[in-house]
Amino acid sequence: MANPRPSSGLSVFHVLKVGLLCIALAACGGGGGGGGGGSGAMPPGGGSGGGGSGGGGATPPPPTTPPPVGQEQLEEASHFLNQATFGADFDAVEGLAYSSPSIWFRTQLEEAPTLHLDALYAAGIRNDFESFRAASDSFWGAIISGDDQLRQRMVYALSQILVISEGSESQLAGRPLTTAHYMDVLTEHAFGNYRDLLEEVTYSPAMAVYLTYLYNRREDPATGRVPDENYARELMQLFTIGLVELRQDGSVITDNEGRPVETYDNMDVTGLARVFTGLGLNGPNFWWTDDVEDAQYSRLIIFDEQHSSSEKRFLGTVIPPGTGAEASIDAALDAIFAHPNLAPFLSRQLIQRFTTSHPTPGYINRVADTFDAGRYSLPDGTSVGTGDRGDLAATLAAILFDPEARRGPDETENTYGKVREPVLRFTHWARAFNVDGTQAWREDFLWDTSSSGSLGQHPFRSRSVFNFYRPGYVAPGTATGAAGLTAPELQIVNEASVIGFTNFLTAFVTDSTWGDNRTDTLGFHPNYANEMAIADDVDALIDRLDIVFTYGGLTDTTRARMRELLNAIEITAEEAEERRRGRVQAGVLMIMTSPEYTVLR
Amino acid sequence: MTISRRHFLSGAGALGMSGTGLLTTSLASMPALAADTSGYKALVCVFLFGGMDSYDTVIPYDQPSYDAFASMRSTLMSQYESANNPRTPDTLLRLTPSNAAELGGREFGLPREMAGMHAAFQSGNAAIVANVGPLLEPTDRAAIIAGTARLPRQLFSHNDQASTWMSSQPEGAQYGWGGRFADAALASNANASPTFTAMSASGNAVWLSGDNTRQYQLSLDGPPQVTALQYPPYLGVPSMELASVIEAHFRNQGVTSANLFEQDVTNAMRRALDANAQYGDALDEVGEIQTQFPQGYFAAQLRAVAQSISLRTVLGASRQIFFVGIGGLDTHSAQARELPEIQLELDTAITAFMNAMGEIGAQNDVTLFTASDFGRSLTINGDGTDHGWGGHQFVLGGAVNGGQIYGQMPEYGFEHAQDSGQGRLIPTTSVEQFAAPLGRWFGLTESELAVALPGLSNFTGGPAFV
Repeated sequence: MANPRPSSGLSVFHVLKVGLLCIALAACGGGGGGGGGGSGAMPPGGGSGGGGSGGGGATPPPPTTPPPVGQEQLEEASHFLNQATFGADFDAVEGLAYSSPSIWFRTQLEEAPTLHLDALYAAGIRNDFESFRAASDSFWGAIISGDDQLRQRMVYALSQILVISEGSESQLAGRPLTTAHYMDVLTEHAFGNYRDLLEEVTYSPAMAVYLTYLYNRREDPATGRVPDENYARELMQLFTIGLVELRQDGSVITDNEGRPVETYDNMDVTGLARVFTGLGLNGPNFWWTDDVEDAQYSRLIIFDEQHSSSEKRFLGTVIPPGTGAEASIDAALDAIFAHPNLAPFLSRQLIQRFTTSHPTPGYINRVADTFDAGRYSLPDGTSVGTGDRGDLAATLAAILFDPEARRGPDETENTYGKVREPVLRFTHWARAFNVDGTQAWREDFLWDTSSSGSLGQHPFRSRSVFNFYRPGYVAPGTATGAAGLTAPELQIVNEASVIGFTNFLTAFVTDSTWGDNRTDTLGFHPNYANEMAIADDVDALIDRLDIVFTYGGLTDTTRARMRELLNAIEITAEEAEERRRGRVQAGVLMIMTSPEYTVLR
Repeated sequence: MTISRRHFLSGAGALGMSGTGLLTTSLASMPALAADTSGYKALVCVFLFGGMDSYDTVIPYDQPSYDAFASMRSTLMSQYESANNPRTPDTLLRLTPSNAAELGGREFGLPREMAGMHAAFQSGNAAIVANVGPLLEPTDRAAIIAGTARLPRQLFSHNDQASTWMSSQPEGAQYGWGGRFADAALASNANASPTFTAMSASGNAVWLSGDNTRQYQLSLDGPPQVTALQYPPYLGVPSMELASVIEAHFRNQGVTSANLFEQDVTNAMRRALDANAQYGDALDEVGEIQTQFPQGYFAAQLRAVAQSISLRTVLGASRQIFFVGIGGLDTHSAQARELPEIQLELDTAITAFMNAMGEIGAQNDVTLFTASDFGRSLTINGDGTDHGWGGHQFVLGGAVNGGQIYGQMPEYGFEHAQDSGQGRLIPTTSVEQFAAPLGRWFGLTESELAVALPGLSNFTGGPAFV
């Protein structure tokens, strides 16, 4: 089942793309019908314009006086951006409604990556505890203000699989440049090949520090020393193949007693551990620690004299005695990369980061097939990916354009969707109201959002290599748990965190956070001007928020309560602007704490 | 589909429905079959996340054993010296167990960072249970090499072994033995409400989950309330009267959804608002405990548990289970620098907790025990150790038959019957055998214990430390 083309579920987008071309060319007649024959309404001015293939690389048209698009197009565009970005504002939703997700996706692939290390270094940041927040501040800036939203979402997803942490309990705390180097590795390879990414991760000082293979030496029978097993184990368990054998659809292969077949045993771990010996910082000797020469944020180098010269045996692969570190690492990563578990294991977790917590076997299978094929055909017929196994751009396209991802919220199964990560809910607010994310350093509330009284998670600061939550987490005592659904994000939902998030959001929404470095204009001040401009009309305001946050899925119950409360905030002559602001704040808080927003589906 | 027990009981608890009466009557008429819920009893699970190195916690003390151990770990021992955390015999705190005769002349000591636990052991308020870990049945090195051993799934994997410790299942498990213990107590009406039966100060933990038992999350600085409800004018809402609309919104009143994820987040918010309010009222009534705790996240968790136990009467609870966790024990590296710090943090916080139990008169009613993903390898990798299997655990409290080392202390060497390789210990006491006396003390009948610990029947005997 290779390269599915879920075009039937995307007819509206086909139509929209045609509409876009018409606008771009300013040459469409009236016309009607045409397109993919779907149920979606034609945007006024759209037509059946012929040349629907091609169209690659076009950017959304300048929004001079475009004809209005319909509600359904806005909802579908918003739904897509809710899954693919750190949050979109109304203009971005409208822009996509005039364009098409295929074009948007390709444009995003070409967007210049937002990187961290060089900028931090140039700003005078060094690896010291005084600067311990610098990488984090830089990452807030990238995800809130970066134009490369799709890439950054992939970085954030990968950061929850290939986990390092610069949290206070980590050896990486106080090494912001080491963390920034790792962020850049993920960023540069986010649309690349997973095999290349694994190699750069393996040679990254951040991972070597975090999983303790920096200074890892070959075995020494005289003292009984053996190589550190940490990276060998987690590379297999968490980063590539997992513990049990999987079919391409993610289901577990069992033996004739019904027990899952394990992918490796401890002998494989001790064998593979020999591979990751002899890696050191880029300095004159193995024990080099000086950061003046950039060694702590440069690719690791090999010291073969510290590398195990024994045979290395794991997963049915045998690396002969005397093989050097570089060749051994190559061979090991090749063997692991070739494992049939890799595609379903990674695909399921990536799907969980973007669209749904418990993907169906069919969905996993389609994405895993795309991972293996390395190429995906977008709805407009253009192709994404190199054709090499492990292509992450193609894999991401398969996730976002799958028919299960593109169904509207009203048509979905009761088991579809995911609890939005608190970080993503917060960035959505920031992006929807045009907050300058590069000013995160001014905002004390963002210095560490790990506690359950805050967001309950902080990028690149999970408490262990097991991330904020486990992909296999099934929440006890819940409806999803009773149905056997994995629901990672529910692992950080509890009586403390749900209130903590609500209060965190309230402080930002009402512009009542604090911090010595905030000024009247710099900090996390929201710009509600567009919403205040329509706040006299409560229904218009709610409609606009419904598009941006719940892609038209606001329930009657929530809408009625919002209407009641917002109408009670009377627009008086004396305090008109403040009352309009109050309506926006109350509306934003209510919609962003509603169940229909909290669950993305 | 019949109504689930959960809904049955939670509805009943609140309203005293006729169904409850039936249940109570039937249980009361068969007291021998129901859990004993007299008095007050609480279990506190201290989970040592990452896998605590038992070899480096309960350390050989008699000279021959110490010398052999020190030579096996000579590199690490010298790192201890240079880190100014010596593990030399003169620094160790010697244990003098009352069952020394069973140890074949071997002696053990604790590192000097664990002075509080040492004092508790010496005074009979703490016990050590040797080489505990997940097992399906008793086994040994020969059976594993021969391939005839039935083994727990996914040995040596952190998350799976932590889950197996708590629930006998790898990641994804739905019920823990703590939660099953609490189920039994709830079935005997131990508590006024299920809400405050199982509490975590360390995030969601499957150990606390039962059929009718769901964990409540303790916040370290008191139960959080929704600021927008307390200060609606913040929002430009002109009057407090409108707070009811916001409250109805946050309570998701009238919200129904067929989507299971939406049901879960809706229920989570409702439960949080109700439980936090009730807990906050109880806290206001009773007031803060006075015992001083050390700084740090772990100590703050134990303080929150101690505070919670101080509310037991007001909350109407006679049986409770608690979960706290301390991380950083995955000492693949820098063990000589990091492990002593964690041991000190562990020891001082637990000591403060036991003092707080004295303050509130619960020192004989609360039993605290440690658990961990696994022990570690005896082999070292340079400056640390790797994942193991069995490990030694501590049990503390006035009810503990302390001052003893229970179970079988393994050889501190290689290729003996309990060495699965590189000194990764094959447990001699299963988690179920370790849990069983805790369950009996908690009041469970043998049949309830069999439900809570389904693997227990595969083992005979076990340590009777409480």
